[in-house]
Amino acid sequence: MSETVGIEYTKVAEIKGPLMVIDDITKASFDELVEIESADGERRLGKVLEVGFGKAVVQVFEGTTGLAISGTKAKFLGKTMTMPVSQELLGRVFDGLGRPNDSLPEPVADRFIDVNGEPMNPERREYPTSFIQTGVSVIDGMLTLVRGQKLPIFSGSGMPHNILAAQIARQATVVGTKEDFAVVFAAIGVQYSEAQYFKRSLEESGALRRSVLFLNLADDPAIERIITPRVALTVAEYLAFDLGMHVLAILTDMTNYAEALREISAAREEVPGRKGYPGYLYTDLANNYERAGRIKGKNGSVTQVPILSMPADDITHPIPDLTGYITEGQIVLGRDLFRKGIYPSVNVLMSLSRLMKDGVGEGKTRADHMEVGNQLYDAYSRAQEVRALAEIVGKAGLTGVDLKYLEAGDLFESHFLKQNHDENRTLEETMSRAWDVLSSLPEGELTKIKEKNVRQYYKGKP
Amino acid sequence: MSSNSALERTVNKVLSQKESDMITQIDSAYHESMNNLESSRTSIESDYERIIDAARKQADNLKRQVIGSTRLNARNKQLLLVEAAVNEVFEKAKVALRSVGKDENYKQLMNRLLEEGLSAIGKDDMIVECSKTDMELVKKSTAFSDRQKKIKLTLSEKPIDAIGGVRVRSADLSLTYDGTLDSRIERLKPLIRKSIVQMLRGEG
Amino acid sequence: MVARGSIVWVSGPAVKADGMSTTKMYETVEVGESKLIGEVIRLTGDVGFVQVYESTSGLKPGEPVVGTGQPLSVLLGPGVIGKIYDGIQRPLVEMAQKTGDFIGRGIATTPVDMKKKYKFVPQAKKGDTVQPGSILGTVQETPLLTHSILVPPNHRGGTIRDMASEGDYDVNQVIANTERSGYKTELSMYHRWPVRKPRPYAERYDPSVPLITGQRIIDTYFPIAKGGTGAIPGGFGTGKTVTLHQIAKWADSKVVVYIGCGERGNEMTEVLVEFPHLIDPRSGRPLMERTVLVANTSNMPVAAREASIYTGVTIAEYYRDMGFDVVLVADSTSRWAEALREMSGRLEEMPAEEGYPSYLASRLAEFYERAGRVRALGSPERAGSVTIVGAVSPSGADFTEPVTTHTIRFIKTFWALDTRLAYSRHYPSINWMQSYSGYLEDVSKWWKQNVSADWYELRAQSYEILQREDTLKEIVRLLGPEALPDEEKLILELARMIKIGILQQNSFDNVDTYCSPEKQLKLVRLMIKFYKESQKALREGIPLADIRAMPIITTLLKAKFEIPDDQVSKLDDLDNRLSEEFRGISREEAKVVV
Repeated sequence: MSETVGIEYTKVAEIKGPLMVIDDITKASFDELVEIESADGERRLGKVLEVGFGKAVVQVFEGTTGLAISGTKAKFLGKTMTMPVSQELLGRVFDGLGRPNDSLPEPVADRFIDVNGEPMNPERREYPTSFIQTGVSVIDGMLTLVRGQKLPIFSGSGMPHNILAAQIARQATVVGTKEDFAVVFAAIGVQYSEAQYFKRSLEESGALRRSVLFLNLADDPAIERIITPRVALTVAEYLAFDLGMHVLAILTDMTNYAEALREISAAREEVPGRKGYPGYLYTDLANNYERAGRIKGKNGSVTQVPILSMPADDITHPIPDLTGYITEGQIVLGRDLFRKGIYPSVNVLMSLSRLMKDGVGEGKTRADHMEVGNQLYDAYSRAQEVRALAEIVGKAGLTGVDLKYLEAGDLFESHFLKQNHDENRTLEETMSRAWDVLSSLPEGELTKIKEKNVRQYYKGKP
Repeated sequence: MSSNSALERTVNKVLSQKESDMITQIDSAYHESMNNLESSRTSIESDYERIIDAARKQADNLKRQVIGSTRLNARNKQLLLVEAAVNEVFEKAKVALRSVGKDENYKQLMNRLLEEGLSAIGKDDMIVECSKTDMELVKKSTAFSDRQKKIKLTLSEKPIDAIGGVRVRSADLSLTYDGTLDSRIERLKPLIRKSIVQMLRGEG
Repeated sequence: MVARGSIVWVSGPAVKADGMSTTKMYETVEVGESKLIGEVIRLTGDVGFVQVYESTSGLKPGEPVVGTGQPLSVLLGPGVIGKIYDGIQRPLVEMAQKTGDFIGRGIATTPVDMKKKYKFVPQAKKGDTVQPGSILGTVQETPLLTHSILVPPNHRGGTIRDMASEGDYDVNQVIANTERSGYKTELSMYHRWPVRKPRPYAERYDPSVPLITGQRIIDTYFPIAKGGTGAIPGGFGTGKTVTLHQIAKWADSKVVVYIGCGERGNEMTEVLVEFPHLIDPRSGRPLMERTVLVANTSNMPVAAREASIYTGVTIAEYYRDMGFDVVLVADSTSRWAEALREMSGRLEEMPAEEGYPSYLASRLAEFYERAGRVRALGSPERAGSVTIVGAVSPSGADFTEPVTTHTIRFIKTFWALDTRLAYSRHYPSINWMQSYSGYLEDVSKWWKQNVSADWYELRAQSYEILQREDTLKEIVRLLGPEALPDEEKLILELARMIKIGILQQNSFDNVDTYCSPEKQLKLVRLMIKFYKESQKALREGIPLADIRAMPIITTLLKAKFEIPDDQVSKLDDLDNRLSEEFRGISREEAKVVV
């Protein structure tokens, strides 16, 4: 920690939105942490966004409500924002800025780490290849999660993304290993009940003492949300790369994060990109999402599952769109399936796991895993086409093969996709169900599967 | 007669047909009910298994939960105890610092803090504040007296409540450099806490 | 005199410094006490506007800014191949040695090992007159690549007064002395070149040789020529990166420069893990021995993203000048455009569409213009090429956004990735109706001479089936497939077969990942033969259902991954089987009629 003594300034020139402009600045640096004290002694934190020509623009995390031009003091702390880290963070609950929120003392820090993190040197990354079994068929069979991956859930309002994320957090294991795992959970502007659901789920599975929670709830200051994923990921990196744990980081809801970013950008009067979001939204999101992965020669890993709600269920909205360009795939929840009462309501056709190819196959899972996944996609996509067609021309207008696809599509949803909140399926069971679905098709349709695998697993009439 | 016997034959035939039909029906009904019984037995068995399984799962969950939260609670109590101990050490340290004699080292420290503060504020008109006991020390320090020749520099007559150190402010009070030992300790608290905890645990 | 200014303002990657009146535009400067690397991008009075290539966290007004007198340049010489660089040619391996697993700041490194000795074999001798670009000698840079040591293009040429004899030299040592009109210069095995300035060449040729990528939909349907330009736009999840990786892996070029510009860290790692193990099908050597990586991942400083494109293309031109075919893959040019937009915003320039600067189009044009097949400067006479393939990441998969629309103006091959195809796992999800190639006529001559005389015809026939299917689909959508006559149902069936058996290609399958031109052609020929036989059978009154039930169909569809390149003769067996099965169904038909 730096020993520089910060200076306290009282010349506030302007307060607008979440920003405060301070005049007569003699010594301040970009990104520096600022402690703001209102006239009645209340303290808030902020950071320098811009400094020069005797002025500093400070972003106030807790918002500027109640701050006055006169009587407000700003103390520049001579350091950037850091998070104290140590093993004893496990089992603790913090607020959105990383301050204790559980009536327990400030953690005794092993180290203080800059919350912005540093970009991992791509040359030092270890390529992710360990299959994580989540016990959820649609994920394990078709959207395999791999250690060190960043795989978001794209959801919509009211859909069960939390239930799915909690199920993943409870059930995720790497088969055949018994290694240290931890869960880092960041609630970003979500409702109390959602955060509580997650906490209870961790508690019930006995995993709370292996978890670190950061809570910025819906009624907490919006600008604080800029920091919440950063402190959470700082802790995740520490647990993974200093302590060698396998960390699952769940960030929900990144849409609230992006909105806080937009608010600041608007207050700075920046030229906006799409839909009013700043042009640097991509880079900013990437600075969070890229804090996942593995490092050569180190045991731990950070696997990230960010959750975001798509405004109006629109996947082309800038937030899901830019996220999809950064993350290694996406799990998209579908409104139609949700209405049909199917859990998990994963719209598989829009979903993807980019790292699946590296986590499955002979020696890792099963030789037919990737092929079966691809064939299921193919079959279900054809089934959807046929369904749409049947709506118009009726079943009579369909060919025999088309009818088979209809059947396979239904079976896929009822037998493979659908499962219970607490149902933990083994990979063997998932694969067996997948073959049940595929075996409802004529053998000749399985064009994505090698002959030898068809011979071994196909259950239908030859 | 012949017609009668033909009729009789037909009746007999129908009757025997009916009889065998009935026998088959009874037979199949019997089999069916046996099957039903069998299958309901297995389904009861599997229901039973399922219920037991679910109960076992729940019991496991509960066990995990109880063990987990007990350990967590124990840990948290420990954290609170440690914190209380740390605070006590801090308070004692502050009292001890207050009574400690101001030696040559302290003089040099004061001079450095003054130097740093004056250059950080860097105005032509500045005020220096310190505790009552340090006033003489400040006046005599080279940092203070040298500057006083070049710019307007006043030593505030109102003493501040501090263990030691100085506070430098611009004359309009818009800029403050807080070089008191109190704020210094406060700033270093997280680091000092770590060493205290290590000592408490016998690691240091 | 180098400028010595001091910072007056900091905001993110943008810094203003005064006292900069002696600095030049695009000069490299050292910013702050930790000597961050930056570049001057605007001068107003004595205030210089600097974009900083490293994180500016903690930088403050008053810290120094010192000019270097040099524009942003790359070091060109042996040792570049096989390296992974950041956006300003700092080697990531060496950086990791200095700052560990995460990228630190203010690190000084050299792009290549200056101490490594190479065996230099002179090609010129004392007394020879050399021009700019002439070859002085060669070194074996990798087992795959004989690196020519060039007289720098900005050198004035002259007479060789001294020439090193064959032997081991490091890149710093002087290997030749030249003199021209009394002006003497010393030449070593490397030189520097400013990245924003295209390297000169003697003459530009028309691209006429296809770049063979082993990807059927590219080579057969939408080819790109060596020295050509292509763009591959697509929404997320459409497989842009996978397609680019495929091109980088299998293209028949001598050198590949892969720029990961604002993309995922793991993707660069993937290349680093895979390429040393993948074997080039032509040379039998690991792919890494011909590859240079430039990585500015999405979380690395944004200003260096802007530079990474120029760093990459300058390296590509350098190997072109040795007479090699070079492929430059840029993933993604959209991130580069966004970096431009961000700096432009900080400069408070008047924005054009979607906040992009008005010079976006001209910058894109300049970049793609650096592709081409050329005669290099100097002697001996040699031709080399730079092929540029740029990914575009249109926001919301909307091809009308500025980066896509401007890019289309400057490229000749357009591979449009289609979200709907990707959703149904049709990969590569290149839409065959939206894509086009401006090199088709140019390269067909090569195919005719090197593969088969009927290439153009077969391609056209199979493409026509796809086109007809596209129109028929509309009718099917309204009336169902049963409403069509058999002849048209056959078109649908054939289109399905072409899609599965040819257009779809699995990059992750050991066999299917690369498909030789011969195999591509044979597969197309088989499909066309099947089509013609089926038409004949239909005319003979054989029901379509019988044709659809032929076992050969599944075999044809799986031939792409069941029959490896070194056994293409098996495709001829398939040809025979196809004829036989058709004879079979027509015999059965004959029986029924009797």
